[in-house]
Amino acid sequence: MSADSAIDPEPVAVQPLSVDMRRLTRVGSRPSFLDYLVKLWDFRQFIFYDARARVQSGTRRDRLGSAWLLLNPIFNGLTYFLIFGLLLNTSRGIENFVGYLVVGIFVFQFSSGAITSGARSIRSSKSVVQAFNFPRAALPIGANVRELLRAVPLILAMLLIVVVLPPAEKITWLWVLVLPAILLQSLFNLGVGLILARIISRVHDVTHLMPFGLRAWMYCSAIFYSYDRFVTNPAMLAAIKLNPLFNVIDIVRDCVLYARVPQWQSWAILAAWALGALAVGLVYFWKGEESYGRG
Amino acid sequence: MDADDQEIFIEGHPCVVVDSVEMRYRVASTAAAAPEADVAKPSLLRRAVSKPNMVTVHALNRLSLVVERGESVGIIGRNGSGKSTLMKIISGQSKPSKGAVYASSTPIMLGVNAALVPDLSGDQNVILGCLAMGMSRAEVDEKFNSIVELSGLEKSIHLPMKSYSSGMASRLRFAIAASVDPEILLVDEALNTGDAQFGDRSKLRMDELREQAGCVFLVSHSLETIKDMCTRVVWLDKGDLIMDGEPEVTVKAYQAFTRHLAKGNNISATKILDEAKANLVATEIRGRSSRRSRG
Repeated sequence: MSADSAIDPEPVAVQPLSVDMRRLTRVGSRPSFLDYLVKLWDFRQFIFYDARARVQSGTRRDRLGSAWLLLNPIFNGLTYFLIFGLLLNTSRGIENFVGYLVVGIFVFQFSSGAITSGARSIRSSKSVVQAFNFPRAALPIGANVRELLRAVPLILAMLLIVVVLPPAEKITWLWVLVLPAILLQSLFNLGVGLILARIISRVHDVTHLMPFGLRAWMYCSAIFYSYDRFVTNPAMLAAIKLNPLFNVIDIVRDCVLYARVPQWQSWAILAAWALGALAVGLVYFWKGEESYGRG
Repeated sequence: MDADDQEIFIEGHPCVVVDSVEMRYRVASTAAAAPEADVAKPSLLRRAVSKPNMVTVHALNRLSLVVERGESVGIIGRNGSGKSTLMKIISGQSKPSKGAVYASSTPIMLGVNAALVPDLSGDQNVILGCLAMGMSRAEVDEKFNSIVELSGLEKSIHLPMKSYSSGMASRLRFAIAASVDPEILLVDEALNTGDAQFGDRSKLRMDELREQAGCVFLVSHSLETIKDMCTRVVWLDKGDLIMDGEPEVTVKAYQAFTRHLAKGNNISATKILDEAKANLVATEIRGRSSRRSRG
């Protein structure tokens, strides 16, 4: 039979076999959603080990090692400060512009990094996916735990810069509120990462679009300017303030720089985005469970 | 054909049921596209976007098998006959285009070609791989030493995987996969890896595993290994099932076939193939969900 002969060769004789199927399950079949969550919980050690091991090995190639986790956003901040602060002077009307900029960049970088590595986790661990049977959502979750671990020194550095660089801010009890904000943010990152991971495992072209999307998102998130100065239409302003990342940044700025209790609306918007994205992401990712790592 | 009269009733619970599985790929071919395609208007956009000439490859034609506990099934055939495709489908690594595989527990494939995480060290990969197979951390610690011992990598186990030679990597891969005691075991040429010293050790472990396993599938080019180890042999050629039966008989027919081919006697080789096919009785799975008695 050559490969392109389309007809099915009919076997000469067919022997029907009656088989007891009760104890058999289909290989590679997708469990129900609740079973899937339970299975994920069973694989928590795998998730945490994967995250921890990769944090340690991530920067082994560089001479400065883990210092790059900090240097990277600092250089980023310097670049933006030079261009937007000194050259374009978008800082007008913003109190403590350096702090404003640093918080924006550090917090946004956490999300963009986490979303990118969550989205790529299935593709980049294809060999692990093909070698072992485990709930695939463990990989995007592991990627997000890893980014969260990496964010710890980042956040500490951010706070240090805010305290040290003039105008130095004072430490208040409000700083504790940074923690729930970051946690909600990482739930949001995970949800978006799960959605993108399924899309990318089918249509790899999306990886090329992701940097543009993230960049556009960054420019929309009021990192080196304030919305109020450029957007005059109140309806428009209300709409863009629904941006979840803007809300995280705003909450952190309120707590750390301005010693204000963040508005409840910001928390509500952020929580809704985080839980919504996570729920949609998990269900959407679970639906594609049988398709990952194949082809 | 009056099927019901000759239906064979299989008592007990089979280990693996391969139910009318079929595998086709669509791949790009560098051969020129058929002239009738796109003859109307090959516009510029269309040429830029359209994929190259796509060809359907029939990797495996419709195939059903029932494997009971205690059977070792050898799979033989020339290159490209669909042996590895069948193994991948049974282990759940690929999803068949049609049909399904049912198994009484998750089949474990002992392959040698899957890479793990290149940036992590050997010992981290051992832990990660074991956790990915669903072991708990305590079980991993218990088995860690025996895995390292089986892999024979005592000194290099702390180096990153990317510094390993392909032989070392496949030894580690084998050692990790062989650390569980699967009920359904698939072996794809795993015995041919590494040097003689590792070969002996891995053969020992393989024998242990085979004795414990409920059923074994073995792909090997060594017909001696197949005759030694298997209780049943399946011969595939170009995606078709040719023979399914006693090791001695099947291997003998296959040897006669390849001998004629090697001599260039294509006609007599085809004759053997056709004869074997004419005597083949294909199976058809009739699932039942109750243990009804034969009336």
